Amino acid sequence: MLEILIASIGFGLITVSILSLASVGFTLQFSVTGVLNLAFADVMTLAGFTAWLLNDSLGLSIWATIPFAGIVAGLISVVLNRAILQPLLRRGTSVFGMLIATLALSLVLWNGLLAIVRPGFFFYDMPPVTVYRFLGQILTSNQLIFMGLAALALLSVHLILRRSKLGKAMRAVAANPDLARASGIPSRLVVDTAWFISGFLGGIAGVALFASLPAFDTSTARGLLVVILATVVLGGVGHVYGALAAAVVIGLSSEMVAALAAPQWRDVLALLILIGVLMIRPQGIVRDVSGGREVAAA
Amino acid sequence: MIPEAWQFYIATLIVLYAVTLIAAFGLNLQYGVTGILNFGYAVPIGVGGYTAALLTLGPPQGRFQTYWFGLELPFPLPWLAAAAMGALVSLALGFIVAGRLRGDYQAIVLLAVSVIATRLVQVQKEIVNGGAGLANVPQPLRDFVDSSIAYQWLYVGLAVAVAGGTWFVVHRISRAPLGRALRAVRDSPEVAAALGKDVARLQLLVMAIGGAAGGLSGAMTAQYLTGWNPESWLLLVTFTYFTGIILGGAGNALGVAVGIALIPIGFREATRFLPAIGYPGLIEALQWVVIGLLALLVLWLRPAGIVPERVVAYEPTGRARWHIGRRGRS
Repeated sequence: MLEILIASIGFGLITVSILSLASVGFTLQFSVTGVLNLAFADVMTLAGFTAWLLNDSLGLSIWATIPFAGIVAGLISVVLNRAILQPLLRRGTSVFGMLIATLALSLVLWNGLLAIVRPGFFFYDMPPVTVYRFLGQILTSNQLIFMGLAALALLSVHLILRRSKLGKAMRAVAANPDLARASGIPSRLVVDTAWFISGFLGGIAGVALFASLPAFDTSTARGLLVVILATVVLGGVGHVYGALAAAVVIGLSSEMVAALAAPQWRDVLALLILIGVLMIRPQGIVRDVSGGREVAAA
Repeated sequence: MIPEAWQFYIATLIVLYAVTLIAAFGLNLQYGVTGILNFGYAVPIGVGGYTAALLTLGPPQGRFQTYWFGLELPFPLPWLAAAAMGALVSLALGFIVAGRLRGDYQAIVLLAVSVIATRLVQVQKEIVNGGAGLANVPQPLRDFVDSSIAYQWLYVGLAVAVAGGTWFVVHRISRAPLGRALRAVRDSPEVAAALGKDVARLQLLVMAIGGAAGGLSGAMTAQYLTGWNPESWLLLVTFTYFTGIILGGAGNALGVAVGIALIPIGFREATRFLPAIGYPGLIEALQWVVIGLLALLVLWLRPAGIVPERVVAYEPTGRARWHIGRRGRS
């Protein structure tokens, strides 16, 4: 029993790295544009399949495909936002309309890809692994590399947000877009960059997710959407660091639940967290007096 | 005399349109009239289908399909039970979201519930036979008529009658003072609350009424098709309903009737006769692409739908004045 729990920490860390990339990306999109992007998981899928294409038909090593997958996902995100979501917002589409729009986009991307690659299961050609055993954990070298990559990507985001002018501009746009524009911040460019970064993170998450499984299909990443939503809400929607902390909590606890009960209870746990947080502490785990009020009804 | 094959086809179309419309009226009461973006609407539909199936299949026997409970109740008890269960489940969802959360968070919670409910039912095979679903669900009043063609038309009558009844109930609600309160909740929950309307209670009420319509629709679909599985109540089902409703025009029955005729019914039937090109599943994938694009196009070009809701303003004398067209709400 205890051994299973301890061993699940290792799997938990893999989940944490995938989930933190995806949730930080999702929450970043919301923070700069106020859009809850239900097509996020499908952009992850497109990135994962970009990597598969390069890996399977061009014979590129999976590590070499990651930057490409990230860039493709980043560009798709920018285009979706610029060409579809922002114009809809400018046309006065309501919050509900935007949710329906992103759900529609998600359907288009998912089924468009499905029509091209055909239904079926896919897998990466992964490099041979060395298995490491330590502290009751069993992890492969590939898993450790993915965790390292996730940590590196998140550290870069942290540095961009906190140490660069761009990050400052992003935080300004997130806090008050009109004031930011009035202060001379090129908010369109800032929003584009933020969507590129979040797409890039989602792209890496997509490849890492697919690589962590024996096989994947076009709906694999969609299965993660509810967990991402729960993580983002627990972290306080729009809060990057909150999402990071929430990813640790949900990633570890969900693998423990999966190890003790059955995998499907992982999703139930995510749902319970989602509901619980929204009912009890809608602002999430971040210490922010004003944030939560927006979530609650009048 | 119309050939039998055509009679079958036409009857099937009418039944599917009527049962879809029942659910769409329920969803429109929640979304179009009250402003609840219920992405979990497929859940009461699913529950209704299973309720009707379990109450007609009889006790589980044999290895053919597993389910935890079964009775053989006569018509119309299974339908009534399905409506009641749909209302109860929807009410339970309402207790989570009504009055507590802002609309978009309501939508996200309901979406999550819908996705996870489907997955649980797929995995926990012992409840209602998992992903394979329940088959051989008996049809209501089947012994009543001899020929299967006559039965088709009998079912048409039942479905049209129930759809008409649902329309009547929803229509009366939306024209009553209650309907004005619901529209106030939709247009501005804050203002409605400030005027003394209990937003949470009103939202709960339409969750229950809409859920009953969904449960009934699920039951009637399951018993008509004699089977019910998780595919019948996916999040995608809710999405097609929404696309139909916003295409036709949310908030009014005529708009819903037009939209539902075009999207879930007309679109599927129009593509049914396409030659089977490509591999199995290609056409279905492309259908979803087109439905998604259609939803985006409607939001872009005509957010109020083909038949926009009429705005009613009340003069100090109490006389109502109707306006065609309203601000682009979607």
